[in-house]
Amino acid sequence: MLRFVASRIISAVGALLVLTTTAAQERELAPVSDTYAIRNLTIIPAPGRRIEHGTIIIRNGLIDAVGENISIPPNAIILDGDSLYAYAAFIEGLSKTGVKSPDDDHGERVEDPGDPPLSKAGINPQRDVRDYLDPNDPMIKELRCAGFGASQVAPRGIFLPGSTAVILLGGETPDQMALRPHNACYSELTSNKTIYPSTVMAVLAKWRELYHQAELSRDYAALYATNASGLPRPETNRALEALYPVTLRQQPVLFRTAKMLDIQRVLSLQKELGFVLVLGDVSEGWDLIDKIKTSGASVFLSLNLPENPDEKKEPDDDDSLGNAELTALKARRSEFIQKMTTQAATFDSAGIKFGFSALDTKYSDLHKNLRNMVEAGLNPESALAALTINAADILGVADRLGTIEKGKIANVALFSKPMFDKDAKVMSIFVDGKLYTCTEKDGHKKKVSSPEGTWHLTADTPKEAVKLEVVLRRDPDKQYSGRITSTRMPEGIDLTNITFQGKTLKFMYDILLEGRPQDVIVEGEIEGKTFKGKITVGEYGNYPVEGIKDPER
Amino acid sequence: MRICLRHIALVLIVLIPVIASAQPRVGDALIRNGTLLTVTKGTLENTDLLIRGGKIVAIGPNLTAPEGCRVIDATGKYVMPGIIDAHSHIALESINEMSNPVTPEIRMSDALNPLDIAIYRALAGGVTTIQTLHGSANAIGGQSVIMKLRYGSLDPAELLFEGAPRAVKFALGENPTRIHGTGHNIVPRTRMGVEFVIRSALTEAREYREKWDTYNEQKKQRGFRGAPPVYDDRLEVLAEVLRGNITIHCHSYRADEILMIMDVCRDFGIKKLVLQHANEGFKVAPEIADFGAMVSVFSDAWAYKFEVYYSTAYNAAILTRNGVVTSINSDDPGVIRQLYHEASKTLKYGGLSRDEALALITINPAKQLGIDNRVGSLEVGKDGDVAIFSEHPLSIYTVPSMTLVDGIVRFDREKDPDDMRLYVDPEERFDEAGFKAPDSYHDCLGTATETFSQLFESR
Repeated sequence: MLRFVASRIISAVGALLVLTTTAAQERELAPVSDTYAIRNLTIIPAPGRRIEHGTIIIRNGLIDAVGENISIPPNAIILDGDSLYAYAAFIEGLSKTGVKSPDDDHGERVEDPGDPPLSKAGINPQRDVRDYLDPNDPMIKELRCAGFGASQVAPRGIFLPGSTAVILLGGETPDQMALRPHNACYSELTSNKTIYPSTVMAVLAKWRELYHQAELSRDYAALYATNASGLPRPETNRALEALYPVTLRQQPVLFRTAKMLDIQRVLSLQKELGFVLVLGDVSEGWDLIDKIKTSGASVFLSLNLPENPDEKKEPDDDDSLGNAELTALKARRSEFIQKMTTQAATFDSAGIKFGFSALDTKYSDLHKNLRNMVEAGLNPESALAALTINAADILGVADRLGTIEKGKIANVALFSKPMFDKDAKVMSIFVDGKLYTCTEKDGHKKKVSSPEGTWHLTADTPKEAVKLEVVLRRDPDKQYSGRITSTRMPEGIDLTNITFQGKTLKFMYDILLEGRPQDVIVEGEIEGKTFKGKITVGEYGNYPVEGIKDPER
Repeated sequence: MRICLRHIALVLIVLIPVIASAQPRVGDALIRNGTLLTVTKGTLENTDLLIRGGKIVAIGPNLTAPEGCRVIDATGKYVMPGIIDAHSHIALESINEMSNPVTPEIRMSDALNPLDIAIYRALAGGVTTIQTLHGSANAIGGQSVIMKLRYGSLDPAELLFEGAPRAVKFALGENPTRIHGTGHNIVPRTRMGVEFVIRSALTEAREYREKWDTYNEQKKQRGFRGAPPVYDDRLEVLAEVLRGNITIHCHSYRADEILMIMDVCRDFGIKKLVLQHANEGFKVAPEIADFGAMVSVFSDAWAYKFEVYYSTAYNAAILTRNGVVTSINSDDPGVIRQLYHEASKTLKYGGLSRDEALALITINPAKQLGIDNRVGSLEVGKDGDVAIFSEHPLSIYTVPSMTLVDGIVRFDREKDPDDMRLYVDPEERFDEAGFKAPDSYHDCLGTATETFSQLFESR
């Protein structure tokens, strides 16, 4: 085994990888030094800047020096970055990476659906996402190895699930990871479909009421605090108290608003109430540039892009049919795929500062989608800015993240090629000064991902996070079989049409809803022991689903 | 072959009207030589109508078109005021907040969907203004949207009828008792319960208003220290109903419940009441006239549930003859396209005059919505909302040919592309045959009650 010796030069990328794998996985010992010197790199310290054959010195979790002729401290672990490209690790603007669902009891029936307990109604702004953050969640590693060093994570749930935190994508505990807790009050226009507020219009009505109540209760609490004598004691109310900073414009509201109409709903709510607004997960914003500009809202554009249906052969895709109507329909669909793909470029040329969010995006698609956006006209420097300094700026951490410069937190991604090259890969990444490796080409080569085993999946429906357990087997004749169970269907249902090609696992089952059979289709990608994809429930629509596989015995 | 098809696709993209881009809100048009059915000022043959800046500025023979003004030849055609539907549920992403029997804080404007293709289809039936309401699940539902059918605008706010009075939905009878009593095991389970729920809510609102009035009064005194009452959006809205600032549109069928809601309104000093449906309105027409309520009915829809068996196609005529301002509504995205047929039925059932029949879908609903100073008839000074028909609109042979809103042509039968959707789903698939109606089309009661809790249940 290799040993760490101060000042010892370990050359070549492969060695660099072995080094970390050995350190992190086998011995679980901290590196002998917290000082690193990565030399002979192509460094892109900020969009539009470039240092050839440069060196980065990392010390105590911070960037200590960047440049061409940097003297290497004697205790540094030296890594040769020949042919590698260093970027400031990316910053993601809205996701639920590593965030568990709160253990709310969803099964229990509410006595009066018109007047439910606040927590059931989704009114939990006092919740802190750190309480639900699992540092060992495999999705953290996956996002990290897409080049991201920080993310704004939001709690799971509906309506007002709690406050977000800007976290570093590495660390042992939620508090260690948190860079900026309570960064924003998070809200979605989602609801528990059976209790108040159950519709988008009731969610908005309740938003207004809570806001006005918070203003009144805030003012009265202040009056009471100055001189309580003779005044009725104000009741404490955790939900309203959590909204005080919002009413004072000290904390922004981060809304998940993918669709054009939802964005407008939130913009008019903001116009009426006056809070500081951040729009997250925007995927249909191209027609709203002026409105967004007027509102002063910050924007995180969705990194999700529709799958190009032309890449998939459809049964009706037979040109000999010559169906003019179908051709026209497909042309309109292409028009909207194009609008989504060029959205970032549209925002950029309109001069709106934006970052990106990965909430609805398969992490394995992140780079492909970015490349598509750049090919569709997004200036690569603007794309990099959105991933780094602009996101840092919107999140209020630009003094610590977003560029490779002295004094900043050591979040540095090392790419095999320039990041927008088709086969560029993240080889390794420093987060908070700690080195993580991202390739599997070493002595500890992972087994090929396999769908066999017991999967614990969580479907993120607007009402609740539904937990599903899927057991998949493979017969001797290489056919898959499986069964799905959940608390609502403990007896389980057999799966049909199970396919596994490349990384894509797909299976179906059918359920009965309101007396009508509905096909449920689960489709997604397996990376090691993680699964991420979507679940489509008949005509009810589709929801994100992700999860992990039990370790094999 | 493939290349050829692609070319067609490109051409089609170009041909699709660029309606989503910023458009002027008002337009100019000269409609020439038509038969004008003014509704309030009789029928004028071979007459021109000039719209400038979205308003009717002149009606008469041989008007001259100003420079650049669009000229529409209506020779041999019939020109009437844009049709008004006082009861619709189109252009909404959700209709009922059925978790609570009292939800006046709900604003339908929050659910408004300007992309709904039903707006364009309604325009194709000559409709220019509608009230789109909360459903009838709740004894007291949400606040309506009164909107112009400015299809093409993506901004929900641009569809709102500027300055229209506020309106709120109430509902009596089987719907609220089924949803809340039978469905959730809470009050109201009976018609008595519905009355109780409404009276309780209004009483609470009266007390709420008094509390705030007192607090606001005290606050004016120097050195006042005290706690404000708890803010309640629901009671805020009901307090406005009590102040007479919001019109009640009450879903009702039976004569007894119609008398009941009028009694409740009298007790609380509420004067602005429009009865919706009122299938038994004909039985209590003099009482309705005496109260001063207005009524919006179906032409001839009944027997779809127990409380609507005692009905007649003479309802609109009997109410009209008793001096009640009456309208005919659609309550449906299909019927909304043929309101002119619905109105024509009153010529046979009750012998209304043509102007009286047309009033049922123009000036009368305008009065019920409080917008008759702006729309509902062809008069100088009113909005340029016009529907042009091939034959008299009450003829069974008539075909709508053009619809203008604020002087802008929003429907033209001659230029009516197949695909008028404003937004399309980029992941839409075409290999699944069949038509899927959006949830909002099922009916005004919706169907979404238990959908989500059942999503992951086994059979």
